[in-house]
Amino acid sequence: MTHLTLSNISKQFSGTTVVRDFNLDVKKGEFVSFLGPSGCGKTTTLRMIAGFEVPTTGKVILDNVEITDKAPNQRNVGMVFQAYALFPNMTVAQNIGFGMRIHREPESAIKERVAEMLALINLEQKGKSYPSELSGGQQQRVALARALANRPQVLLLDEPLSALDAKIRVALRAEIRSIQRKLGITAIYVTHDQEEALSISDRIVVMSQGQMEQVGTPFEIYNFPQTAFVASFVGTLNTTDAEVIDPAKKLIRIDGVQLETAEQLDDRQKGDKIRIAIRPERLNFVSVEKKVNVLDCTIENITFLGSVVRIQVTIGSNRFNMDTFNNPFLELPKIGAKEQVTCSREAVLVLKN
Amino acid sequence: MTTLVEKRDAPKARPAHSKFSWAWLGVVPFFLFAFMFLIYPSSTIASGSFIDSNTHAFTFQNFVHLLHNPNLIGAYWISIKISLITSLGGGIFGFLLAYSAIRGGLPSFMRSSLMTFCGVASNFAGVPLAFAFIALLSPAGVLTGWLTAMGYNPYFHGFQLYTFWGLSIVYMYFQFPLMVLVIAPAIDGLRKEWLEASENLGASSFQYWRYVAFPILLPSILGTMILLFGNSFGAFATAQALTGGSINLVTIVIGAQLRGDVLGDAGLGYALALGMVVVMAVAITGYTLLQRQTERWLR
Amino acid sequence: MKRGGVIWSWFWMALGILYFFLPLLATFLFSLRAVKGVLSFKAYQNVFSTGEFVTNFSYSLLWAVLTIIVGILIFVPTAYWVRLRLPQVRTAVEFITLLPFVVPAIVFVFGLVRTFSQPPFLIVDSPALLVAAYTVLSMPYMYRSIDTGLRAIDVRTLTEAAQSLGAGWGTILFRVILPNIRVAILSGAFLSFAIVMGEYILAQYLAKPAFAPYMAFLIQQKAYEPAALAVLSFALTWASLGIIQVVGRGRGPAQIAGGH
Repeated sequence: MTHLTLSNISKQFSGTTVVRDFNLDVKKGEFVSFLGPSGCGKTTTLRMIAGFEVPTTGKVILDNVEITDKAPNQRNVGMVFQAYALFPNMTVAQNIGFGMRIHREPESAIKERVAEMLALINLEQKGKSYPSELSGGQQQRVALARALANRPQVLLLDEPLSALDAKIRVALRAEIRSIQRKLGITAIYVTHDQEEALSISDRIVVMSQGQMEQVGTPFEIYNFPQTAFVASFVGTLNTTDAEVIDPAKKLIRIDGVQLETAEQLDDRQKGDKIRIAIRPERLNFVSVEKKVNVLDCTIENITFLGSVVRIQVTIGSNRFNMDTFNNPFLELPKIGAKEQVTCSREAVLVLKN
Repeated sequence: MTTLVEKRDAPKARPAHSKFSWAWLGVVPFFLFAFMFLIYPSSTIASGSFIDSNTHAFTFQNFVHLLHNPNLIGAYWISIKISLITSLGGGIFGFLLAYSAIRGGLPSFMRSSLMTFCGVASNFAGVPLAFAFIALLSPAGVLTGWLTAMGYNPYFHGFQLYTFWGLSIVYMYFQFPLMVLVIAPAIDGLRKEWLEASENLGASSFQYWRYVAFPILLPSILGTMILLFGNSFGAFATAQALTGGSINLVTIVIGAQLRGDVLGDAGLGYALALGMVVVMAVAITGYTLLQRQTERWLR
Repeated sequence: MKRGGVIWSWFWMALGILYFFLPLLATFLFSLRAVKGVLSFKAYQNVFSTGEFVTNFSYSLLWAVLTIIVGILIFVPTAYWVRLRLPQVRTAVEFITLLPFVVPAIVFVFGLVRTFSQPPFLIVDSPALLVAAYTVLSMPYMYRSIDTGLRAIDVRTLTEAAQSLGAGWGTILFRVILPNIRVAILSGAFLSFAIVMGEYILAQYLAKPAFAPYMAFLIQQKAYEPAALAVLSFALTWASLGIIQVVGRGRGPAQIAGGH
């Protein structure tokens, strides 16, 4: 059952189109991330849901009510800002209770809800503190509580963690996700950090230059990227040009070596130039006798990244990254050695630009 | 502080006749200058006010005489009155003007124009300003002429330029620009997100003002008004040039005392001057404290 | 801002513009009325051709230039040493530079006259006292300008680089530091210029020739000539501050203590 619908949304600022052809249906309780680089239009789209920007075309429908033209203070959506935006002249408790006070709810109800929220974000002792006395992470949690206290229908988060340290970011994003699940509230989360989006979303909308590139679950986005942009933005990727040899048998050639892919090539013809991609973790050293997709390579560089060991290999004229799990008892090849690597047919992705 | 740490190293790292002593030599002219031409003359005011002008003995009598002199108390009262009025009036008007230009939805060139004009206007005080208003509103003034031509002569309705109220109007000319200049950074500091957050939580424009913007700006507004108060309290040349010294302000009395001992008692003059300095010091302190509070919130 | 709010903004702006420009307009019109019934620049002619105007105006120029020079000579080394070597006196120095705000000009001249009209410092009649007093008046602005300028350049590194190349302190101050804070000094200088040119109290009570006391004197004597002077005064202030804006790239002009 669709809770929030964005239909044919586009936005123009003095001649420049910042968002175009945005269509999305969000289910109740779903956690959707808008993922993309700076300037891709994700924040603008979020602000159109909140009412701070008015779409040039299209409709925003929340719970079957069209809210496209409604003023931001009439929408009952809760927003968490990147810069927290806590009111500095009010205590934590007063900040959290602000929305309810505006709606003239009785003091007793406000007190109860504030206590409930403080417990939810684990800051029970901080009710009387001022925002300037809290750390960045604590302030962001208060901002979250303030947005939730008002019982909004949708929770909007605009890069809430980008101003925080890496460790706090990881902890806080898990906390946000768990609170969202507990309350069952629909959430839209804007971020440029693909790891963040992958780890907490039900679905991800990858955006670039105002356009939706792909919508899907984290699994789908990562493993089956549909465009070159998505493939390169999400995770690391080895890409190269290839030529189609036989569309029916799904054979292609890179640099004189023949590869077999599992993707459909029926719409291509022999000789077509295409772009393919292989995830680093899908390349393995050849351990048993294999006939398909065996590539000769030279070891260029080995980088120890902790749990992952990244090996740079040269295959023909291409430099590829190969990721393998750290195993202290497994001997790694020497730099300059000639080895053979392989990948499955399914690992060879054909990109549509 | 890094410099402090390095300085601790400096004496060890360099020979005894280190550049350390050069530095002190470098600031001696400043301290000498400040002492001779600022601190010492100012302190003679303080010391002079505690000395009986006849017996040259230490006394509090000068202040007692001050407090019992109805003329002087009147001068203080009038100075305070005009300062209160122009700081409130200039403060409110200046604030409205600043907010209109910065957050009021006006084209952005209005803001920089306003800042420039205010910079000039707040400096355009003293003799030329007095004359400008004479040219405008004296019985032979330009505006008086226009209004009379339109059928309304302000002088027939009780208006007088060379009075307390006339002077107030003139004072406002440099008060409200000062307000604009000082409060502008504070208004800038009102983050757009606060407005959006409050809208998002359901607040109307009025509620945003009442619960968020105004409380945040209040220390700055108050502090600047106090600054305006001090500014007006210490003003002299404008009043002198406009009224020829006929208005009883503390600064005018001090001026008269300088020209010839009108009070008949040198010690009293000193006491008067010291009283002024105290008022100014309190004003500047109040302003500084309130500004610090503002900075804490608008960081 | 809601649409209704913008109307209010325009309203306040219009009021402000009116209040600001009417007196200036009146002064200008007044200055053109020297010849009955005709708008002319006679008042300007009258004033500019008198020897008294030239004398007084030139003296003010002289005081202003001297004040700026003395200011640079005293404040630049001080600000430099405080920043480089003596951070512990910083608070004392900043307090001193704020003192002129606490002591209004009329009280200041009161103290100056009393102090310096008796031995051992009988210099109340000396122009040096006036220049010194003006330097004190300009101190908050001059010192702060210079200090801001120094803050923007890496004083320590520049000094050490110059030292490693063999420069002595004089060279460092005047050929390395000074050129790099030129903009800040200019800002402070033009502000001081505007202050001194418009200053009335000190010049009047220390009995020295200057522009503002001359204007005050003329108000008693003539009707239209003072208007010409007022217009000139305003133009001068505007020009000084305008140059600061251009030179200082829009750093906010501060309020002046001396003139009123």
